[in-house]
Amino acid sequence: MKTNLKNLSVFICICAVITLLLATTNFITAPIIEKNQNASANKALLEVMPDGTGFEKADVADKALPATVTEVYKETSGKGYVIKLKTAGYGTDMIIMCGVNAEGVVTGAVCLSSNETLGKEKEYGVNFKDKDAADVEGVDIIAGATKTTEAYKNAVKDALNTAIIMGGGSVDIRTEEEILADNLSEAFPDGEKKFEKLFLVEDIEGFDAIYTATNGKGYVFVKGEQFIGVKDDGTVVTKDVADASAVTAAVATIKATVLEDINITKYADLEATVLSAKKTATGNFVIEAKGAGYGIKGGDEYHPASNEYIIVRVSINAQGKIIDCLTVSQAETKGLGDQCADPKFYGQFAGKNETNYTEIDAISGATLTTNGYTQAIERAYAAVKILKGGAQ
Amino acid sequence: METFKLLIVILLSSVLVDNYVLSRFLGICPFLGVSKKLDQATGMGVAVTVVMLIATAVTWPIQYLVLNPLKLGYLQNIAFILVIATLVQILEVILKKFSPSLYKGLGVYLPLITTNCAVLGVTINNIIDGYNFLESMVSSLGCGIGFLFAMVLFSGLRSRIDDSHIPTPFRGLAVTLIAASFISLAFMGFGGIVENIFA
Amino acid sequence: MNKKSSLSVLLNGIIKENPVLVLILGTCPTLATTTTVTGAFGMGLAALAVLVCSNVFISLLRKIIPETMRIPCYIVIIAGFVTIVKMIVQAYMPALYETLGVYLDLITVNCIILGRAEMFANRNPVVASALDGIGMGLGFTLALTAMATVREVLGAGSFAGIAIPFMENFKIEFFTKAPGGLLVYGLLIALIYIITKGAAPVKTSFSCEGCPHAATCTIETCQKKGAEN
Repeated sequence: MKTNLKNLSVFICICAVITLLLATTNFITAPIIEKNQNASANKALLEVMPDGTGFEKADVADKALPATVTEVYKETSGKGYVIKLKTAGYGTDMIIMCGVNAEGVVTGAVCLSSNETLGKEKEYGVNFKDKDAADVEGVDIIAGATKTTEAYKNAVKDALNTAIIMGGGSVDIRTEEEILADNLSEAFPDGEKKFEKLFLVEDIEGFDAIYTATNGKGYVFVKGEQFIGVKDDGTVVTKDVADASAVTAAVATIKATVLEDINITKYADLEATVLSAKKTATGNFVIEAKGAGYGIKGGDEYHPASNEYIIVRVSINAQGKIIDCLTVSQAETKGLGDQCADPKFYGQFAGKNETNYTEIDAISGATLTTNGYTQAIERAYAAVKILKGGAQ
Repeated sequence: METFKLLIVILLSSVLVDNYVLSRFLGICPFLGVSKKLDQATGMGVAVTVVMLIATAVTWPIQYLVLNPLKLGYLQNIAFILVIATLVQILEVILKKFSPSLYKGLGVYLPLITTNCAVLGVTINNIIDGYNFLESMVSSLGCGIGFLFAMVLFSGLRSRIDDSHIPTPFRGLAVTLIAASFISLAFMGFGGIVENIFA
Repeated sequence: MNKKSSLSVLLNGIIKENPVLVLILGTCPTLATTTTVTGAFGMGLAALAVLVCSNVFISLLRKIIPETMRIPCYIVIIAGFVTIVKMIVQAYMPALYETLGVYLDLITVNCIILGRAEMFANRNPVVASALDGIGMGLGFTLALTAMATVREVLGAGSFAGIAIPFMENFKIEFFTKAPGGLLVYGLLIALIYIITKGAAPVKTSFSCEGCPHAATCTIETCQKKGAEN
């Protein structure tokens, strides 16, 4: 028993000595180990904010941040923020890391993971370095990788906004579409938040755009910054409208417009190029014409394997001016030619006439699509001529 | 359901894909040393599995209930190895006293297990991988079964090697290692299967 | 102790009783950490440090440590030094720490260290034990590095992380994988046999020499060995 006790005490002594040694080593090495671990965790963060000394994950639970933001890291000495974002690129999601300093200047942006087809996103982030919000706006979208680079640019903009919000500021983080939708419903609450752009067939001067509530209860007229809500009977809902009578008159014009179908089967020349034609009492035409874009096997209309035309609806007044233009359907290349369905593109035609309708900004990287589109408008003009001749 | 899936994946990957012996080389000494006969291999494998399970059941609470709250993470190694050594001793005494027949089957392998790196390895790995208690137990069970599986397979192979004519320089350990290499190569075929079982 | 014998103690570990290639001890780290030369060299040095420290410590205490309690004492001492080495590596060589991972912890159960404590340090003076530790550690490091060289050059086309022109175009990834390690180890053992023409005491199978449990082990052959001891 006595030896056992002695043995045990020796063992315990050894344990104590070793523990002491360990504690000493731990005391010396623990701070260094912690520093190392922080350094390796911060490696990716340092890439986009090289001046950073330390980072900590910020609590974003109570902040309204752009939907793309997944994580926010704060630079511990207050130099700024690193924002991790997830955004939909052309193929799959892109994970983007963006550093923004205290002055609202991008310190760096990298794409951590993506499956984009062209690989342009790999070095695209360099373009944003040392730029502030205004400069970021000016960074060029890369032709041939529009979707990818646009998503990237928007992510960087979101990161800049996030930095402002994290710093206590407030930013409108709504997208353009959301802002428009909000403005429309504010101007005309009866519209139940569902509006669509009205396709104009009569000249209504003095307004930038007109939207109609899909429930048929009224309209919203856009004039500069002002959104004017109008009931179906012409009563202006919005207060302080300078020329309410003009709006009421416009509503009356819209409602008075009656479109008369023209039977195009009578015109052999039109059957192959035009889908439908309508006419108003004032002599305006609404034509749906088809153009051979890239969806028609590289623009060759007579190719046996032809599939999808670009269908364009265009309204032309008696003087030959294009009142409005709209893409009805298209099957152009995703991310390139499909921009012909974007209002930014087809909106360019409104106000043009027969001599200058080709003077528009072409879709970069999709020449055949642009050519197909103008071909459809050319055919619409040709149809108007034939129909006018036929009417006489 | 999700947890159940996760447990199955942990179990299968520790038995097949990340087999401790054949792809992580933990416990390779007894694998080469005690795999000559089938009964020895089975006995050793079962003993290792039992010790792994008990050791995990004891070391996991020690790590999370004692070492972590007291910030004594640096004592992990000492604590774990002492726990394993003590457990093995206790298990041996208990078996000897209460079940001599079982002791005859398993007990003889127990002293060898203290320095079996697979046991220490699995307890430390469970902590590194951040498994919760249930996951740790499943992972230990998987590792034990994987060890047993490899031992049994290999003992079959070795009995064939003993009967064949082998060039002198390769006799003994060299050919054993080369044979183990081929078994390990076969196990590599499991890579990628487990992750996709539920996909 | 004269100069010649201390030299022989040192060389003993490197050549005649090379722990990896002749005594066949410490197989786990030998196989697991030899995918890169840097990792293998680091592992060797870490084991060398633990080996020297524990040998010296145990040798110092050899008269105090009670016979019946020696194995637990050795384990505590070794585990302690392993943790110390681990903390130092983690603090000053984080890259190496990442490479070695759990195998650094597993030096604790490396048979070489417990084996040397049991077979040498507990019956020899401090200086000799230190030399034995250095010799064994160097032998371990050399063997690991040699094996890693074969595996990294063939498997990754590089040496210590530096790409070798031409070789890097013909990588045989098999060698960096688990089966490649076992194969190279087996071939190296056979090669040692051929080089020494069978003169080196190559073990033909695992026996109980070097096993720290030889004395207490209950497997038949070991019991015999234990009795002889």
